Amino acid sequence: MSSYVYTVARLRGMENHLLDTAFFSRLMDSASIDDAVKALGETSYSQWITGAGSFDKAIDSEILATCEELASFVPDKELLDIFRLPYDFHNVKVLLKGLFKVRGGDTEGRRYDLISKLGTIDTEELTNAIETEEYGFLPYGLTDLIPACWQLWDATKNAQAVELLIDHQMFKAMLGVAEKLNIPDVTNWVRNKIDAENLRGAIRLARMKYDSAKALPFFHEGGTIRPDDMAKLLNEPQETWSRILSYTDISSVLGALQEQGDMKAALSDVSKALDEYLLKVLEKAKYSMDAPANVLLYLLSKEAEARNMRVALVCVAGGLDREFGRRLLSNGR
Amino acid sequence: MEMLGLSLALFGAALAAALAGIGSAIGIGVAGGAAAGVMTEDPNKFGSCLILQALPGTQGIYGLLIAFFVLNKIGLLGGAGAYALTWNQGLQIFASCLPIGLVGWYSAIWQGRTSAASIQMISKKPEAMGKAIILPAMVETYAVLALLTSILMLMGVQVG
Repeated sequence: MSSYVYTVARLRGMENHLLDTAFFSRLMDSASIDDAVKALGETSYSQWITGAGSFDKAIDSEILATCEELASFVPDKELLDIFRLPYDFHNVKVLLKGLFKVRGGDTEGRRYDLISKLGTIDTEELTNAIETEEYGFLPYGLTDLIPACWQLWDATKNAQAVELLIDHQMFKAMLGVAEKLNIPDVTNWVRNKIDAENLRGAIRLARMKYDSAKALPFFHEGGTIRPDDMAKLLNEPQETWSRILSYTDISSVLGALQEQGDMKAALSDVSKALDEYLLKVLEKAKYSMDAPANVLLYLLSKEAEARNMRVALVCVAGGLDREFGRRLLSNGR
Repeated sequence: MEMLGLSLALFGAALAAALAGIGSAIGIGVAGGAAAGVMTEDPNKFGSCLILQALPGTQGIYGLLIAFFVLNKIGLLGGAGAYALTWNQGLQIFASCLPIGLVGWYSAIWQGRTSAASIQMISKKPEAMGKAIILPAMVETYAVLALLTSILMLMGVQVG
């Protein structure tokens, strides 16, 4: 564990460069996107921004550069994999959906522009593997998952069901990597992430008036709350969920939303609350000088910063309501 | 058998210097790792990091001090040759070396960890340097107490 003393100390130094919500709040006050880009001049994002329209790619480049920098000194690369792995599954979704469209006759269906470079698998290799149907070398159970997705698509033509299958495997893979790492804080975080995703799903399904039996397949295995119990929530009024889940830590998120009288809040607010909760799950690592979970905590803070950057710049570029934008900013740092 | 007393005394001196020295080396290594991490991001913190990194080094010095004390006590430093020690006297000297050997070894490692945490603290709050030094210095208290114990015990041993 002491091999993380250098790593955590370096992360502490890097944390000083993270941009806080006050900065983004000021950024939102920019009169135009050009002014906002100018305001970013002194941040690490400036090296990637080539113009007012390039900020989306610049944000991805900044996170990718952060991952590559961390890879040079973090002893367990699997910690980075846990963070990057969802991007691999996102890419699989994008590629498969494109191919589904192509098979359906839409020759322009491929959306290579949506592929993220943040995954652990080289995007070209992944694209080739999926398009040539040679999945043998793919990690995280993708070798079996992709043919299963094709089978499901051929049988149902239901892209949502395919996405769900991919998400199930993604969380299984994340939990597998975390358990292999054998760092309790990280495993606990993955389990809480699964809970958060399930809760987000439950709120969405409740609004769509799903009952528990119909909703059960939507919940992922591996969280601290069993999918059965999560599905049962749908038979109860939303106001009682916090009490029903009081044996879990995540009930605090529901409790806070309920206190604010915000149970019917926009899903974006719920997502924000859940993202902040997931940061809090790792927060005790802050008080340790050599806890490996600090790596994940830093990456999540960086991701929250990137999310805030996107919100602020989209608000400025699209001339959206600033107050609404400020509500979406999360307290990553 | 007539050399057993001298051997025990020398073994004690060796333990005092070696255990405390090993502890200090580990402690400084841990704090050094943290210092390197912080300085990678901000080289200007070298001065503060150096002070905090050096703190776990004192146990090694205390161990060396006791080793010198023992060597002087048994006459090995004067050039006139060692005194003839009974096994009982040798055992007393050996026992006197244990406090600084054991406490020095263990406290240096923990002081190193506390120093590393303090180095991380000044990375975020450079203005808290004073507090950052006090925290690892608290660990030092017990190394000093062990040093005093070893000195008092050695002073009580009658040889020559």
